[in-house]
Amino acid sequence: MKTANMARPPVVAIIAGALLALIIIACAAAPLIAPYGMSEQNLKDSLASPSAKHLLGADKMGRDLFTRILYGGRVTLISAVGVVTLSAVIGIPLGLISGYFGGMLDAIVSRFCDMLIAFPSLLLALVLVFAFGRGLGGAVVAMGIAFVPMLVRVVRSLTLVEKNKTYVEAARSIGFSPMYIIFKHIFPNCAATIAVQFALDLGYAILSLAGLSFLGLGVQPPTADWGAMLSEGRDFLLPAPWLALCPGLVIVLSVLCINTLCDGIQQYLDPAQQPLPSFRRREKPLEAAEVRAANLKEGAARGE
Amino acid sequence: MARYILRRVAAFIPALIISSIFIFFMVRLTGADPITSLQGTQRLSEESRIALTREFHLDKSLAEQYFIWIGGMLRGKFPVSFKYRQPVDRLIASRLPTTLQLVGMSFIFAVFFAITIGLICAANKNKAVDRILSAVLVLFASTPSFLLAIVLMLVFSLKLGWFPSFGAGHNFRENLYYLLLPSLSLGAAMMSLMGRVTRSRMIEELGADYVCAEIAKGTPRHVIMFRHCLKGVLIPVVTIGGLQLGGAIVGAVMVESVFALGGIGDLLIAGIKSADYPIVQSIVILMTMLFLFLNLVVDIAYTALDPRIRAERITSQ
Repeated sequence: MKTANMARPPVVAIIAGALLALIIIACAAAPLIAPYGMSEQNLKDSLASPSAKHLLGADKMGRDLFTRILYGGRVTLISAVGVVTLSAVIGIPLGLISGYFGGMLDAIVSRFCDMLIAFPSLLLALVLVFAFGRGLGGAVVAMGIAFVPMLVRVVRSLTLVEKNKTYVEAARSIGFSPMYIIFKHIFPNCAATIAVQFALDLGYAILSLAGLSFLGLGVQPPTADWGAMLSEGRDFLLPAPWLALCPGLVIVLSVLCINTLCDGIQQYLDPAQQPLPSFRRREKPLEAAEVRAANLKEGAARGE
Repeated sequence: MARYILRRVAAFIPALIISSIFIFFMVRLTGADPITSLQGTQRLSEESRIALTREFHLDKSLAEQYFIWIGGMLRGKFPVSFKYRQPVDRLIASRLPTTLQLVGMSFIFAVFFAITIGLICAANKNKAVDRILSAVLVLFASTPSFLLAIVLMLVFSLKLGWFPSFGAGHNFRENLYYLLLPSLSLGAAMMSLMGRVTRSRMIEELGADYVCAEIAKGTPRHVIMFRHCLKGVLIPVVTIGGLQLGGAIVGAVMVESVFALGGIGDLLIAGIKSADYPIVQSIVILMTMLFLFLNLVVDIAYTALDPRIRAERITSQ
């Protein structure tokens, strides 16, 4: 009997996670697996097509594209993690504290965040890049700050729900200090949702950083991340389309994996989002016993 | 209703003032010396350096410079660009129509495809069609607009030769053709989010009690979907669309860069690269104004369209 009652294992999310892990490990182990040196030039192979010698072809200077994607991935992934970490270091404490204490501080923080959220984040990043200077450091700081207001809003709303729960009241009546309650009790209980937000932001950070590098405002040559490589590659679109397409595809693949993985985790965390069983397509109605068995099974699947 | 609109418009003004201060001082945080970037390769004598500094009011205090800038903008006088030696409004005037048309066209594409795909998905919930189209929507959400622009350009301009690979047309009609690929690339990401919202809202709406009553009455499915449910679905979609439209004004930068369209985005990037404060300040405040204005319009439209929200907001005054 093929029932819809079985909770479908999140196959897609698992595949996405595995693929993402593969990309991360490959980039981390770049010096071990890359067939060439990072900027090893070989002018004879200028614009070579993909072949056994150059897996994904070579660029104008004869640098192996596969090697450069691996090394570029390190720059992209590390700076994306940098962006999200920066926003988390500022945003999480701010959200927790303003949500927990409320009052004047909360009003100021919330107004300020509302104002910044009203600003398109790319525009904010462009202004900040102008202020902090072009280059990877400037871009990371700019994007990191641009991500703060949204994170503050998410963390604050989680804290507002959490702080009225019994365990917080208990902790307060025992006499724990507010800071201890915030970071030792409330934060761990919000951590799962914050982690998902963190991962989603990571995908968005990869896209945004690639965008800034593409515009020539992020990574500066000779260093290259995926965005900068894509930008370089577009000058050779007709003779060597793979130079632009390969870095582009890796960007899409990584972000797609992150988004899919997050969707999977969210569904797992929130049973209401799981597809409900549908009995519409059955030709004859279920027998009462069958329904009861199905319900039991569903209950077991949800851990009731 | 009129009072509500008035109140919202009044709130628009302080928001604009605060953003202008924020933008001005953020831009001035940069250490880059505009006079140095202005001179380029030629050397400047000390006298001309002083003269230039005075010409651009750089010898005054920051606060004074702010009031000179904002006062000029209020009288419709834009500052003069360091690099182009022209008032910024003259530089913008020839570029703004291209950008606005690009954003407008991409919005129309996005709305059209988002609603079509969203409705098809909702009508075939969890079937193969829904799965495939939903996957396509997620794919577009993960694709940066500049990559899509490059792919479209490669296939349709360079390989097939159907469209020009760079540059914009000279007038609105020509641009309908020149801006087709750019607007598709810009619209894809917008479509993705709106499409997903349409799908989930429609599914929610189809599960409502009144739909059950309509089915019991024997109303045909398409009538239920289009005449009854669509109204409830469109409101959140329009809201999200409006916000995305504001983001697209900035996002257009990427696509303009790929197709070398010469819109205001290109000008902004050039300004950032050459430390040209007047250009950066003026374009950023212009984009912010457009963005805030769109938010305002969406908010008012939202209130006007949805009787529930109208009642809530007007009585809560």
